[in-house]
Amino acid sequence: MDTMAAIKQTFFQECEEQLAELEEGLLAIEREEGDLETINAVFRAVHSIKGGAGAFGLDDLVRFAHTFETTLDGMRSGKLEITPQIVKLMLRSADILSDLVRISRDGGEMDAGRVAQMTDELARTGGAGPVAPAAAAPQPPAFEPLAAGEAEPQVDEFGFAPVQISFDTLIADDEAAGIRQAVHIRFTPKPELYAKANDALRLLRELGRLGEMEVSCDASAVPLLGELDPEGAYLTWDITLTGDLDEKAVREVFEFVEFDCDLSIDTAVAGPVMDESDAAQTVQAILAQVAAEEAAGQERHAAPQAEAPAPVRAAPPAAQAASAAPQQAANSQAPQPGATIRVDLDRVDRLIDLVGELVINQSMLAQRVMEAGIARLSDVAVGLDDLEHLTREIQDSVMAIRAQPVRPIFQRMSRVVREVADMTGKSVRLVTEGENCEVDKTVIERLADPLTHMIRNAIDHGLEKPEDRLAAGKPEQGVVRMVAAHRSGRVVIEVSDDGAGINRSRVRQIAVDRGIVAEDAQLSDAEIDDLIFAPGFSTAAAISDVSGRGVGMDVVRRSIQALGGRITITSRPGLGTTFTLSLPLTLAVLDGMVVNVAGQTLVVPLSAIVETLQPKAQDVHGLGEKARVIGIRGAFIPLIDVGCVLGYRDEEADPLASVAMMVETENQSQCALLVDGIVGQQQVVIKSLETNYGHVFGVAGATILGDGRVAVILDVDAIVAGSRAEAARMDANRKRSAA
Amino acid sequence: MAKAAGATITLPTELDIKAAAPLAAELAAARGGDLTLNLSQVERVGAQCLQVLLSAAATWSADGAELALEDPSPAFVDAAAIAGLDLSRFTAPFHGPLHGKE
Repeated sequence: MDTMAAIKQTFFQECEEQLAELEEGLLAIEREEGDLETINAVFRAVHSIKGGAGAFGLDDLVRFAHTFETTLDGMRSGKLEITPQIVKLMLRSADILSDLVRISRDGGEMDAGRVAQMTDELARTGGAGPVAPAAAAPQPPAFEPLAAGEAEPQVDEFGFAPVQISFDTLIADDEAAGIRQAVHIRFTPKPELYAKANDALRLLRELGRLGEMEVSCDASAVPLLGELDPEGAYLTWDITLTGDLDEKAVREVFEFVEFDCDLSIDTAVAGPVMDESDAAQTVQAILAQVAAEEAAGQERHAAPQAEAPAPVRAAPPAAQAASAAPQQAANSQAPQPGATIRVDLDRVDRLIDLVGELVINQSMLAQRVMEAGIARLSDVAVGLDDLEHLTREIQDSVMAIRAQPVRPIFQRMSRVVREVADMTGKSVRLVTEGENCEVDKTVIERLADPLTHMIRNAIDHGLEKPEDRLAAGKPEQGVVRMVAAHRSGRVVIEVSDDGAGINRSRVRQIAVDRGIVAEDAQLSDAEIDDLIFAPGFSTAAAISDVSGRGVGMDVVRRSIQALGGRITITSRPGLGTTFTLSLPLTLAVLDGMVVNVAGQTLVVPLSAIVETLQPKAQDVHGLGEKARVIGIRGAFIPLIDVGCVLGYRDEEADPLASVAMMVETENQSQCALLVDGIVGQQQVVIKSLETNYGHVFGVAGATILGDGRVAVILDVDAIVAGSRAEAARMDANRKRSAA
Repeated sequence: MAKAAGATITLPTELDIKAAAPLAAELAAARGGDLTLNLSQVERVGAQCLQVLLSAAATWSADGAELALEDPSPAFVDAAAIAGLDLSRFTAPFHGPLHGKE
């Protein structure tokens, strides 16, 4: 990949982050949890996207970002009152910005009408000035803030007024400096200015003597007390001087601080909008200034910058944009999350693989030591225990590298909610919980589509129409909840709505019509609800714009299963429907119980096991043709022979010679799995079968044991569900043959 | 200028560059409750002390506590005006419906 493409890719990565920040900030504002820093962060996000887009000549993006930014700026300076309508508009604008970024990256056509309409709406808020001329200085694009300046003649309190350096004052000779009506000065002291016993206020006072002065102070870079360097420099002033002015006199005020501050003196404030060539020349002037400053180094000399040689150095435009925009640099001093580095995912994955091998190796070593008959308390064994602890810690740390909070994906869903709510004309509130819950990156990435579909379904099918809700005595606004939580070594994500619940008789009828179930099938409520996941099932009587995209819940279930996860549904008539996704926390390690079944070694995830027991003859009862139950403390729970379900044997094992493991499934029901014997407890590294082979019923993955043998890891829920389905099938068969 | 409940700090006469670090330390120590800054004694003001005070206002606002000014001296009012800063900027940086943490 060439350098430019690499830079561009980084830009788009950063765009993703900025967009997430933008949305997060806007949502915080919507919840009325925002403060000034939130608005600043939102503004910065859009500003950064605009800056980067300019550097790559993405004109559409620059243009929209500029309008957006101007409105946000109105919000920031308090000119534009923050109302729920305004925040909604901002959120929709953020959606469009996000689309524009995506199209800039992946190609495609943007609906120009949508953009134009939104631009219009933004402009009408009054927070924005007149919409910038379309030519937001596309040539050369790196210096886009110029256009921003022209569009915002007002100097806002906190704003990033553009760095404006007059072409005249820099390139032309002294004749250019004469009597002016207005001079605009942007003045950002550096810490050295104060350290040399100069004070910004004294300079401002001196300026004030030259003419009529208007001052506004950009304090957005001032950090909170915790991060403040009392002797640092955080303020930027925009000063407009009017009257009979000698520019030399203005420069003299700054004579002794010229190298201890960022200074621009612009005599063309009231001038006409700069055309492209002017803009280009100004950029050159700035480049010259930057070069001159560097050449001057620490050496103090008060010569006007214009006299410095003006070589234009060939440097990437982005870099120049950065030096030309000191306020952006100052702004990055705002609170930042901990330092991060970007690492190629392949490297992390390689590390994870290696740690997996380490775990296997360590358990092999432990087994060898045990086989050699070395005492448990010998130095070797104790050393091995330490090694095991270390290995586990390394493993946890490595997993943590891949783990990321689900927040971004939850945020993306808020957009889906907005769009679907608009389309269906329903009023919907999205409530999210547990956004900080961390899940493996791969899992997160692959959750987007299933979650989107579930949210669409929840709004389109789940929630009733507003009038029906009112009639049912519910608030008009429907609620969709998304909750993420860690539960016994897995991540559980619930998507629920407070709608009408599943219309079971209709679901059943459809399933019968489509031949998914027999007409006389006896189905429990849960089984009817489960039909939603059947391939080819769609409840929408008319395929709607929203949900009917040819993707059914069966696809959702398949994609969740591909992640080693499960999806279940519960519904209560009149109260709503809940989809529960249960996902593995990591795709790599697991605490397991190693068991024997029909001569095979299997691993049962420890998180599923509640207890183990030896069945007694009086506790085991037959039920129907083949099913058996076991009585435990007065309750009967199904007894499932793992060997039969997996097809290792045809005849059910003798329960009295076996061990029963009580397991709890995702939907909290209990079952007893019958195995021949328990070997021990061990941490195992999951090797995916899906990746290397394909999905196998009842198997969650495979692992390599300490003795080097391969063992399959049981998918407990699938086994339980499978045995139930088997029972149901036999039941149906029997009824059919009886009829 | 209303007086906030809680502690009051009377600022020294000189708020020049030498005063910035002690002022920041004193304010940082006063965090955690409403605070009133008495500005009646202030005679000289430098930009860095204004930075400290702005930072304090933002910090108090973020903490959800009130920061009020009391009896600002003419010297302080003048310095703030020269710096282009409205006195309200030293109390809460933002007044609006966003003030959700109250």
